[in-house]
Amino acid sequence: MIIRNKDKIDAPKTIAEHFEKLGYICNDSIATAIYLACHLQKPILVEGPPGVGKTELAKKTAEFLSASLIRMQCYEGLDEAKALYEWKYSKQLLYTQLLKDQLGDVMRGAKGLDESVARLHQFGDIFYSEEFLEPRPLLQALNSEDGAVLLIDEIDKADQEFEAFLLELLSDYQVSIPELGTIKAKSNPIVILTSNNTRELGDALKRRCLHLYIPFPDQATEQKIISSQVPALKNELKQQVVGFVSQLREMALKKVPAVSETIDWARALLLLNVEQLDPEWVKNTLNLLLKFQEDIEAVEPEIRNLLKNRA
Amino acid sequence: MQQALGDFIYALRQAGLPISSAETLDAIQAAHLVGLSNEKLFKQSLRATLVKRLDHQPLFNATFDRFFYSLNTDLSSVNDNSDDTDLIEAKVPSASPQEPSTAKSVESIEPNQAMQSSLAQQLLASDQSNLQLAIAAAVSNADTQSMSIFTQIPRITFDIMQSLGDAELKQDLMQLASDQLELKEINEQQNDLINLIQMRRQQLRQYVRDLVEQQYLLFGQNKPKQLREENLQKIKLTSIDHRHQQLMAKMVKKAAKQLASMHSRRRKTTKRGKLDVRKTIAANAAYDGFLFHTKWKATRVDRPKIMVLCDVSGSVSRVSRFLLLFLHSLQDVLPKVRSFVFSAELAEVTDLFDDNDIKTALAHIMENWGNMPTSYGQALLDFNASAAADIDNKTTVIMLGDARNNYGQDHVEIWRDVYQKSQRVLWLNPEGQFNWNSGDSIMDTYRPYCSKVAVCNSLRDLNRILGSVLKNN
Repeated sequence: MIIRNKDKIDAPKTIAEHFEKLGYICNDSIATAIYLACHLQKPILVEGPPGVGKTELAKKTAEFLSASLIRMQCYEGLDEAKALYEWKYSKQLLYTQLLKDQLGDVMRGAKGLDESVARLHQFGDIFYSEEFLEPRPLLQALNSEDGAVLLIDEIDKADQEFEAFLLELLSDYQVSIPELGTIKAKSNPIVILTSNNTRELGDALKRRCLHLYIPFPDQATEQKIISSQVPALKNELKQQVVGFVSQLREMALKKVPAVSETIDWARALLLLNVEQLDPEWVKNTLNLLLKFQEDIEAVEPEIRNLLKNRA
Repeated sequence: MQQALGDFIYALRQAGLPISSAETLDAIQAAHLVGLSNEKLFKQSLRATLVKRLDHQPLFNATFDRFFYSLNTDLSSVNDNSDDTDLIEAKVPSASPQEPSTAKSVESIEPNQAMQSSLAQQLLASDQSNLQLAIAAAVSNADTQSMSIFTQIPRITFDIMQSLGDAELKQDLMQLASDQLELKEINEQQNDLINLIQMRRQQLRQYVRDLVEQQYLLFGQNKPKQLREENLQKIKLTSIDHRHQQLMAKMVKKAAKQLASMHSRRRKTTKRGKLDVRKTIAANAAYDGFLFHTKWKATRVDRPKIMVLCDVSGSVSRVSRFLLLFLHSLQDVLPKVRSFVFSAELAEVTDLFDDNDIKTALAHIMENWGNMPTSYGQALLDFNASAAADIDNKTTVIMLGDARNNYGQDHVEIWRDVYQKSQRVLWLNPEGQFNWNSGDSIMDTYRPYCSKVAVCNSLRDLNRILGSVLKNN
């Protein structure tokens, strides 16, 4: 990765400051992980509950390093044809049809099979050249001149085999294509993998990565996040919102609200011109925070208590 | 720094973190990059490179604090003697303010004349750095990292004291004492000197012992546990002591998790399925549409479907307890496990396992079905009524029991049906083979209708047998 402004990454603290300017509040361990990734050229494996800003981290890193972000969403059944490269089959087919006559010309006058084959060999493997290669995200990342930020999102959703396939890329920044040989990165990309822990990742993959766990933020941090995302929200209401959400997180819910949901809720409250959290408003907007009917039913009778605790 | 990091990583491994050498190299690189000046940053860098699982983080934090904070005091005491927090300075004072009178009187004696041993001179010297270095060297020579039982602490302490020159010091002290006896007059100053040295020797001993204890906590604490775990794997389930059961439960869980994660992945097989037309055309485009390479849709083989019948009557309850533990953990990962327990009658406990944690579920089972007389005939009748219809040629049926039927009916025809319909029938008997068919055991009646009958009475057996079940599916 070619980083133009070296002074941007000279210390984790500087990184944290730059991120804050971009609207991403990061704690020390996040800044340290980015710092190490830039200097040691190692991928980061980011884990944490959904909605704490794992994907956002990659986006902001790309913005911070002024590099392009290449994103690959993983899912079950993802294979290398979709992740790495594919041959442009229709183009190949079309060309063979069009070049049929040309081939006739080339072969004219050749005596015997040996000579014909020899002549054909002179043209090389035109149909398996870069011309006919359709680069997919991984190859794009390797081919970008200045390096890029490669986001491999939700790696835990991909199959075990795909994880193994990634190993070569993660440790040596190269991939092997049978027809073309090994392709090395022009400039090592910064790789960020995210995982929601739906399954345990292999040790081989973990060993190659730096590990970063992003937990739910504490109240002070969350208030900072809200101020940077929803600056128009009044201070008092902001405190109430954050306090309420952090109480929800302590309840035994099917899915506790994440940071992104807090932000959505704050935006909604702003839009509705709410001055003060009262039970009625909370009840009407609860579906922004809780995504299961069971959870909503569990929380509704408690709203009054939760708000009282705040005060 | 590399040496210290190496020791730290060794300590982490002893604490149970799996750290590979590649990660060690990463950590060293990271440590060089961030330096030691910012302690928090240093810790975070090591954590990012070494700890790859959330549940290992507390362990890392604890080991980090124990390792580097104890090391810190050591380092500072070597480098800087005037430091107040200096451990040895406080414990082995050279001219300590607590004992001004003795110190003053002793100073007038030339220690060189009275005491020959170097340790005595070091103890009396005002500069402690030599002693510090000597202690550090002795500790690293004493192979403290290989300690595995806490009773080794005194021996290692003794070794270190010896290598510091304790023997000569003792001799000197004895010499001094006998000199005094010979002269038959008590030299006040000499007496003070002896007392002072003896006191400092005690303090030194205590200090060394503390050091060794610290090292034990870092490196040796977990070794006995590892040893015990290894032994518990092999030991017969029936003869495991009550106090080990909690540890055993943990191990069963671990083994089941391992097994499940190993096998839940083998879903796709290389078996050919239908021709994949789209892929075939695409793959052969380059050959002008002639179909050279055929592409096939891989068939998906379902995850193993398992039904387990578990005898929980008095005679086998100890073994079944572990099998139930195993099942509970497996059921988390393999969706198609159905569990039944029986003694006098049979009941399905799949839902019970799904809804409750293992402790509640086990307690419930033991309360309702445990310790009643077994009736295999009745159990099979119940099984036939409730689950036999769901058995198909992909099902593996596992029976855990000793086939002791209390001379009741055997209903072997049901078992034969099960055998014919299912893919495979396993019978795991916790009793040794020589006890089969003795007394009321009717193993031979059921035996023809089992694909495999095996003795299963240790965790290792259980692991191996269930592993092969999952593999063959």
